Amino acid sequence: MEKIVEISSVDTTYEGEKIPCLKDITLHIKKGDFIAVIGPNGAGKTTLLETINGLLESSCGEIKVLGKSLKRNGSVVRKNIGYVPQDYSIDELTPFLVSDIVLMGRYGRIGLLNPITKKDREIAKKIMRYMEIDEISKRPIGKLSGGQAQKVMIARALAKEPQIMLMDEPFSNLDFEARKEVSEKLVDLHKKQNITFVIVIHDITSIPSVCNRVIVMDNGKIVADGSREDILKPDLMDIGYRGIVC
Amino acid sequence: MLELFYTRIFLFAVTGALLTGYTCSLMGTFVVRMNLSSLGFAMSHAAFAGAALGVFLKQDPIIFALLFSIAIALTLGPLADKAKLKTDVVIGVMFSLSMALALLFLNLSPDTTMSSAALRILWGSVLGLTTADIMYLLIITVITILFVIMFFKEINAILFDRKLARASGINDKPFYYLILILTSLTVAFSLKLVGGLLVFALMINPTSAVYQFSYDMKKIIIFSPVVGMLSCLLGILVSFLFDLPTGSSIAIVCSLIFAISVVLSPKRRKG
Repeated sequence: MEKIVEISSVDTTYEGEKIPCLKDITLHIKKGDFIAVIGPNGAGKTTLLETINGLLESSCGEIKVLGKSLKRNGSVVRKNIGYVPQDYSIDELTPFLVSDIVLMGRYGRIGLLNPITKKDREIAKKIMRYMEIDEISKRPIGKLSGGQAQKVMIARALAKEPQIMLMDEPFSNLDFEARKEVSEKLVDLHKKQNITFVIVIHDITSIPSVCNRVIVMDNGKIVADGSREDILKPDLMDIGYRGIVC
Repeated sequence: MLELFYTRIFLFAVTGALLTGYTCSLMGTFVVRMNLSSLGFAMSHAAFAGAALGVFLKQDPIIFALLFSIAIALTLGPLADKAKLKTDVVIGVMFSLSMALALLFLNLSPDTTMSSAALRILWGSVLGLTTADIMYLLIITVITILFVIMFFKEINAILFDRKLARASGINDKPFYYLILILTSLTVAFSLKLVGGLLVFALMINPTSAVYQFSYDMKKIIIFSPVVGMLSCLLGILVSFLFDLPTGSSIAIVCSLIFAISVVLSPKRRKG
């Protein structure tokens, strides 16, 4: 199957630091993969996502996304990657409406100097309906619950019609019901649109059923990479990974 | 003849006020949202330092004021990015440097008449507005309006969250730097009317007033300049009627508008 992300011997070091947060990462992601990235706090999971979409520049090695070198084509590549960060700067007075934020997801794709078309607005509306946030579309983002805001951020990323979705703890602000509902929607999107998902998850019980691959990270390295069945085997979890994951 | 002279001064003052009110408040929407409230303050002092250098070199203080503001704007963004500090912190550094330079240049200038020309930059003087000043204000107003219309998507996304804008495929740095540069130009060209110290009020107060009534950034961007123009017009009127300094009158009017908006704000009502 077509390789959609190719990472070869990559280190990522934060500016001003000597020790890399990602160490010698080599990772290939195929189109249609549904990958869960697990590991303890500080393992490098978020750094991995932000290195894949070029928000953090790698200090060595090579990254190709959708066949293009990330170093030379960062902005172009990012137009095809949906990103849901773990933290975003929203407070009670943030002056943006839900509908505007979801539409913003399309801005990079629309391109410089091109106007927002009727089609763009329709796609944003369709995504809002899909995520069941259309009824709150005219509400300010700062007035929503954590779960609603999280759904808005997912909708924003999906509005881009991405080929790859990078999601950092997408279920962290959701209650059990909402978690189940969002998880089912991601599975549905994966099946229908063949979007490649890379999801950082802290709670391994939240890993969606469709997930075909689990990557375990610790101390900036990939310590295990395999099928869901292999990695999450109860005996393996008991031997080694449970200590890393929990 | 005298009447014509006064009519011309009044017309220049009103036109200057409308243009300054519009542009300062438009850029103010970005300044407030991006927590750069001290930017206007730092820019105005940079302009003051420039003007002081102009005085020292016996050149036009306005040109040097402009050059210093632009220099600060060009340095600010990259320096904040490079130093990995919040822009507000770097603004604080720039502010102290500007004040130190201003005092140094003024101290080196023996000509007190010229020094008072530099001080006028801090307080503004509506009577001194020339056709060239109005033209400069008009040009900067047109540029800022075009900037907002042409790049509304990108600006809006950056105002929401710079990192998310970058993640969307928007090259955020040039827009961020352009916002800083246009703000500095706006400050520099507004100095003659409201003065360096009060241009700050004109950037912050109208936007803060509109913030009290809306959660929609589009509406804030549209209505802040309207409130800015209204503040300037009322300020000019108060200044002419009661023979008060124009800059102070404008700042007091827009502070009053802000205070009233806080009282009337629906954001504090329940139900």
